[in-house]
Amino acid sequence: MLKINKNVEAAKAVIALEGRLDTVTAPELEDDLLAIIDGITELVLDFEKLDYISSAGLRVLLSAQKTMNKQGTMKIVHVKDVIMDIFEMTGFLDILTVE
Amino acid sequence: MAEAKIALTGRIDSNNAPRVEQDMLGQLAGLGQVPVVLDAQELQYISSAGLRVILRLKKNYPDLTITNVNSEVYEILEMTGFTEMMTVEKAYRVVDVAGCEEIGRGANGTIYRIDQDNVVKVYNNADALEDIQHEREVARLALILGIPTAISYDVVRVGESYGSVFELLNASSFSKILAQEPEKMDWCVKEYVDLLKKIHSTVVPAGKLPDLKETVLDWARFMLDYLPEEAGKKLVAMVEAIPHDDHMIHGDYHTKNVMFQNDEVLLIDMDTLAIGHPIFELASMFNAMIGYSEMNPEQIIAFQGFDAETGRTFWRKSLAEYLNTKNELKIQEVENKARIIGYTRMIRRSIRRKGMETEQGRAEIEHWTGELLELLARVDTLMFSRNELEVEAIEENLEQVQAFVDEQLEAADCSPKSQMQIGLAVEEIFVNIARYAYAPEKGRATVRVEVSDAPVVVTITFMDHGQPYDPLAKEDPDVTLSASERAIGGLGIFIAKKTMDNVLYEYKDGQNILKLKKNL
Repeated sequence: MLKINKNVEAAKAVIALEGRLDTVTAPELEDDLLAIIDGITELVLDFEKLDYISSAGLRVLLSAQKTMNKQGTMKIVHVKDVIMDIFEMTGFLDILTVE
Repeated sequence: MAEAKIALTGRIDSNNAPRVEQDMLGQLAGLGQVPVVLDAQELQYISSAGLRVILRLKKNYPDLTITNVNSEVYEILEMTGFTEMMTVEKAYRVVDVAGCEEIGRGANGTIYRIDQDNVVKVYNNADALEDIQHEREVARLALILGIPTAISYDVVRVGESYGSVFELLNASSFSKILAQEPEKMDWCVKEYVDLLKKIHSTVVPAGKLPDLKETVLDWARFMLDYLPEEAGKKLVAMVEAIPHDDHMIHGDYHTKNVMFQNDEVLLIDMDTLAIGHPIFELASMFNAMIGYSEMNPEQIIAFQGFDAETGRTFWRKSLAEYLNTKNELKIQEVENKARIIGYTRMIRRSIRRKGMETEQGRAEIEHWTGELLELLARVDTLMFSRNELEVEAIEENLEQVQAFVDEQLEAADCSPKSQMQIGLAVEEIFVNIARYAYAPEKGRATVRVEVSDAPVVVTITFMDHGQPYDPLAKEDPDVTLSASERAIGGLGIFIAKKTMDNVLYEYKDGQNILKLKKNL
């Protein structure tokens, strides 16, 4: 289960995730991102309530990062330890901007 | 050769034993070694001195029978082993069951309450003495092995049939409780399944009970004439593949055969006791609660006293309790296996009882055969384990697979972090199987969860019959590359390897076997 809370104001989008970003839910986030990402220069992903991420979730983050590298900035905030561990283990800490 | 008949009367003990002996020898004098029949109709008591007289007599007259033995004297003869040394025939009390409450019904007979403390099981078969003897023996065996059951203490005549009498005080069958006190459903499920688990964990010494697998194989072979060739062969092969199991099964474990008496749950109707794989038991439970009444809801009301809805709920809850899971896929997996044997049994039974000759019979046979064929198309084994989940390998089943693993880990005292990592590795591996093992076809996968003690190691094994593929052979992704250089994908197996302490792969017996190990 994943709850996606989107807040888009002009060129800035804040997306808050709640629950699990896994094989089942990652396509939902991917679709939502695709729908709003055009013209966005500042993307913030709020992981305060995200408890779980698998490789399917990482793939969506990586592809969002690739897009944002071309058109602006992306950062991920309020990341829980369990997810930090996954970022670290997979080298994503070096790819993503995590605050 | 003429036989000599001698009447025994009153009490025979040390006071009169010598006189009785002399008297008997006097009656036999000059007759040679004839068969001797001791008529015990008037005998009220016999002590060891009296028994010794009979033993001495038996030495000289080996063909010795004692007839018309009342139940008190029979008890003495049985206790002292005399019933095994010579032919002892009981005197049968006559019992009338007209107007008595029916409290149980099994494959071979019906149980009535004859007074406050006693019940009688009246056998369908008029010539039931052997059946009665068999049931007594198996009940005694069960009792010795720790299964709470009632053992009959007397054999009686009921009309043209025989009956065996049991002491059963203030007892209610679980059917009666479910019908009259539906709020006790969960309590009934718990007690019923606790006893079931106890039966299934009881090892029976070799040769003491029949092997139900043989019987089920007969049912399956019977179906060869009534199913398309492929389906029939598959059914027989699946039964053949069930391994020998020397644990006890009751054979007719439905709620009329489980009694509650003085705070104790008690099993009755023991004549179907056997050994075998628990799936055979679950099949007969399915039939009693759902199968027989699937097309005819009135049937269960007549038989159990509660409605089809209660039967279905009780079956589902019992299966969940038995498998120790709330996992819908797991319950369904085992239910489907039980249904295969259940339908097989019902179709054969109906055909043999000329079901094809009535409209309702034909409709039932057709319905059950349809269900059976549909199941045979998608189930490949009748075996199951409580710590295994067998599912279609599709991504939609991921959540249930993870929930099943979590449930299995509940007892393992897993830290939230380890549990999360295990869940993550399970996702990566299962999704991999779902996407690639059978592509572009679909297939099934089995997930097994094992937890060892000291050191505590969780082992999760994935098995599939897809393309041989070793996911560990693939090189790990370079995690130092920048975003633009990194490929999308290839991370799943890497995550599993990193979060687990050990990941092992082998291809064996046509199966991909991947093991995840995590030290707790």
